[in-house]
Amino acid sequence: MNALLEVDGLRKYYGSLEALKGISFQVNHGEVFALIGPNAAGKTTTLRIVATLLSPSAGKVTLLGYDLRKEPEKFRERISYLPEEAGAYRNLKGLDYLKFMARFYAHSDKEAEEIVERARSIADLGPRLNEKAGTYSKGMIRKLLLARALMTKPDLAILDEPTSGLDVINALEVREIIKKFAREGISILLSSHNMLEIEFLSDRVALIDKGVILDSGTPQGLKEKYRANNLEEVFRSALR
Amino acid sequence: MKKFINLFFKEIRELINIQLIVSLVFTIVLFYIIGQMAKSEMKKTLRPQKIAVLDLDESRFSKELNQGLRLANFELLLVSEKDKEKAIEWAKLKDINLLLVIPQGFGESMTSFELKEIETYSILRSFSLIGSRSSVVLGNVISALNEYISDNFLKSKMPDLDPKRVKKPIKSRDFVIVRERMAEGTAASIAGFVSSQSVFVPIILMMIIVYSSQMVISAIAMEKQNKTLETLLTVPINRASIVTAKMLSAGLVGLLSAVIYMFGFRYYMSGFMGDVSERVEASGLAAVIQKLGLSMTAESYFFLGLSLFIAILCALALATILGVLAEDYRSAQSLIMPLIFLVLIPYFLSFFSDIRTLSLPVKLLVWAIPFSHPFLTTQNLLLGNYKAVIGGIIYMIFFFIFLIIVAARIFSTDKVLTMKLKFRRKRIVL
Repeated sequence: MNALLEVDGLRKYYGSLEALKGISFQVNHGEVFALIGPNAAGKTTTLRIVATLLSPSAGKVTLLGYDLRKEPEKFRERISYLPEEAGAYRNLKGLDYLKFMARFYAHSDKEAEEIVERARSIADLGPRLNEKAGTYSKGMIRKLLLARALMTKPDLAILDEPTSGLDVINALEVREIIKKFAREGISILLSSHNMLEIEFLSDRVALIDKGVILDSGTPQGLKEKYRANNLEEVFRSALR
Repeated sequence: MKKFINLFFKEIRELINIQLIVSLVFTIVLFYIIGQMAKSEMKKTLRPQKIAVLDLDESRFSKELNQGLRLANFELLLVSEKDKEKAIEWAKLKDINLLLVIPQGFGESMTSFELKEIETYSILRSFSLIGSRSSVVLGNVISALNEYISDNFLKSKMPDLDPKRVKKPIKSRDFVIVRERMAEGTAASIAGFVSSQSVFVPIILMMIIVYSSQMVISAIAMEKQNKTLETLLTVPINRASIVTAKMLSAGLVGLLSAVIYMFGFRYYMSGFMGDVSERVEASGLAAVIQKLGLSMTAESYFFLGLSLFIAILCALALATILGVLAEDYRSAQSLIMPLIFLVLIPYFLSFFSDIRTLSLPVKLLVWAIPFSHPFLTTQNLLLGNYKAVIGGIIYMIFFFIFLIIVAARIFSTDKVLTMKLKFRRKRIVL
């Protein structure tokens, strides 16, 4: 058993709407695990529950043995979350934003400096880091936020549509950064509409639709199972 | 604690931005200019006022009347014209606002006690109160002269009697009793003084509550609008600390803004009212106030401060809950309205009515609003009604605890992300 995150029978209701219908999956140490599916499939709800933003209606979520319901604080110390439509404080300089976030995780000023230094190299924004985030382009904001998510080297980085709304060049850069940190051993739970991106980044994927996991496995394994050329075809076949 | 301080200072930095500084500086400058203008206008009214006098009588009485005007700080400009119309034109030309016409035979009528009219003409060039002040002073001078002339008449007819006793055979002495203390004075002057001293309390309270609440609601709404709230909620810090940091920072900045605002407002008011303490001292009212024990003690100030502080905390907690309902900054502006109403109701009631005389249901409704209590605190403290003050403070503490529990609960559940009120405009389809 090498599981970092275990999700078992997870359900979520929004009023009478059942958004998640008892899904189960595991994310292992140093693994990139992706949830793929159409809009309203339940990807973001799952990620938000693991990120401690939403509480599950039923089921169990554990990270390194910590129960999400009982010890959400322990969860937050070990994860970082990049929402799909995240922003930075417009009146704070990029660097000040990173410093502000680093102080929540660091145990000393020296450690905070090291975290910020790591973030500087991830964001790669040069002198623009000394300007207010309100002046940044969407690509720059995304890089800043990705740097914020990875700078603490969390046990689990939860990335919701990390390249959403970015142009090709920025999207490529963001993917490279994620890949690099995955190679360094950070576990990543990812969601995306972009099947090529998923194939490039993920070790394993779960196909999710209408709150149910249809299938899961390695991209290669799924392609072979469904005799498909790519994950898009896999997904279409799984839906049938 | 380190994490809390980190968040607290971030909130302060977010709140004290260039827009806030510019608006505060603008307010201070505006109040300073208006205050200066008012001061200079008031000074003008203290200078000798010009009055044109067309004396068609030139008798001893008309000269006495003129002398009386000089003593009342009027600068007399005797009109050489002998015609009323021409005198009016002359006054207009010379930019004089008042003209007094003493008719021929005025002195003779005074000695024979026949009614003779003098005429005053006020040339209105503006509708300001200051502009009409000199005609009020002139009226006072004429009534003083009436007194003088009638006194002389009575003296000549009844030399053994004091004319004042004839004109006012009943003399009254007014006393005011507050609790066990009694002093000579009128209820109106005491009430006027107390209300003038405590008028700033509700204004200060209203300003602080509105400023701080606006900041809390906006801070939460901006987190939602800028999509930073989700990230903040996943960092390793207690949710109650997030609520507290937002409330405290907004309270502090709101307090600072209100103090600056009130400083400007006080300057503005002093332009109109002058130095109140000097006037009170001169009128002898200070001694009466002292005797009645109507001045605030250190203990009174402590209770007043405590009451104001807890009311502000209640407002901040309520604003935090309302802020969660906001979808964005724009909807946050609408959500402040219920809170403003809750402040305005006791604010106006404390000005225009005596809450003790209201019907029981209305009274209960007013007492249920936590912000009513600090509005009544000054009055209750001066009247020694400490039970009401302490009762109000205890009620507000319970109200605050209830609100803070609700706010912390909302922040620790999904509701912080899912609760919202939508303010959508109706679309017109053509």
